[in-house]
Amino acid sequence: MDPPEVEFLAEKELVKIIPNFSLDKIYLIGGDLGPFNPGLPVEVPVWLALNLKQRQKCRIVPPEWMDTDKLEEIREQERKLDTFTPIPSPYYMELTKLLLNHCADNIPKADEIRTLVKDIWDTRVAKLRLSADSFISRQEAHAQLDNLTLMEINTTRSFLLDSLNYMYKLRSNLQPGRSQDY
Amino acid sequence: MDSQSYMPVPPGIGMEDNFFSLDDILLSHERLPCSTESAFPRLGFLEKSSETRDIPEGTKMEMPLWLAKGLYERKRRVLSVELPKVYREGWRTVFGADPTVVDLHKMGPYYYGLGSQLLHFDSPENPEIANTILQTFIGRFRRTMDSSQNAYNEDTSALVERLDCLERSLFKAGQSGLNSFQLWEKGRSSHLTASSLVINYRKRKITDLQA
Repeated sequence: MDPPEVEFLAEKELVKIIPNFSLDKIYLIGGDLGPFNPGLPVEVPVWLALNLKQRQKCRIVPPEWMDTDKLEEIREQERKLDTFTPIPSPYYMELTKLLLNHCADNIPKADEIRTLVKDIWDTRVAKLRLSADSFISRQEAHAQLDNLTLMEINTTRSFLLDSLNYMYKLRSNLQPGRSQDY
Repeated sequence: MDSQSYMPVPPGIGMEDNFFSLDDILLSHERLPCSTESAFPRLGFLEKSSETRDIPEGTKMEMPLWLAKGLYERKRRVLSVELPKVYREGWRTVFGADPTVVDLHKMGPYYYGLGSQLLHFDSPENPEIANTILQTFIGRFRRTMDSSQNAYNEDTSALVERLDCLERSLFKAGQSGLNSFQLWEKGRSSHLTASSLVINYRKRKITDLQA
């Protein structure tokens, strides 16, 4: 899976916007999108929000977790614990990138938020690598990691799977029991 | 998407090898020291150092893996294979002490593959060899993972030099994951670029032809 695919999946998340146009309820295959009235907040998927923003038809309200105090708390907790802390949105990395690139003017302290999210990401990825290393060095059969997001899994997926495959085949050398004779 | 125009057949690790894999074919060219247990009449020309017409019993020669595997039989009337020095007791203790310092590329670029193939020739040290290979892999895994996931946009030749071929393919996988993530973060994933095939083929533009 590529990062753009993960981003595509992330665009289904809902975000609040304040439109400046009015439109009746629209009925799409994926669901209904409520009536748009100027000045009244309405929840729409991110893909629509970005599109409207680019056409200057709305103002995006940042999600509640995209706030410097909250993110600092999450970062501190992430650094203290050895396991992964539950984060407010399973697509925090993608949403941060999308929202900060397209509508930085609607989000207060955008640069700080970007730095905080990057810190959280780095800490989590470091923990992921640590746990992958201990998984391999102890040759365990399975591991359970809670609260991981798709993007983090995606970055290590090919490497981890390949190395586990190789390890499995090297381990099968230990069992005698030859499959073929010449 | 990061798809290539050519998907190579991966090497088969473990006691089998893939017939079509280029890595396995190159691997089977590695020479092993062996000694013949019966005479090979009229094949003296294979052994450059002897001038006799046939190869007598007990000659020590170096044979490539593909030949040794084909001639080896359980009853051991034809060939007996000795272990190359990397898989012997001395080197095994080195690997046990600290696997990360060894330059595996110099020790034969196919350490893991050749080691797995050696298990076909029943040597009494087989279980230890298999165990050493596995432990070496596990010991070097951390280094490979760290270096592949942290070297972005740098010259990685110094890091890759000491890895053997299996680790190099792992390194490449790690790098490609890192690169695609960084590319996405910069926003350049949707940037259209000309395919490498077209650039290499250097198609002439119609305007140049007409001029």
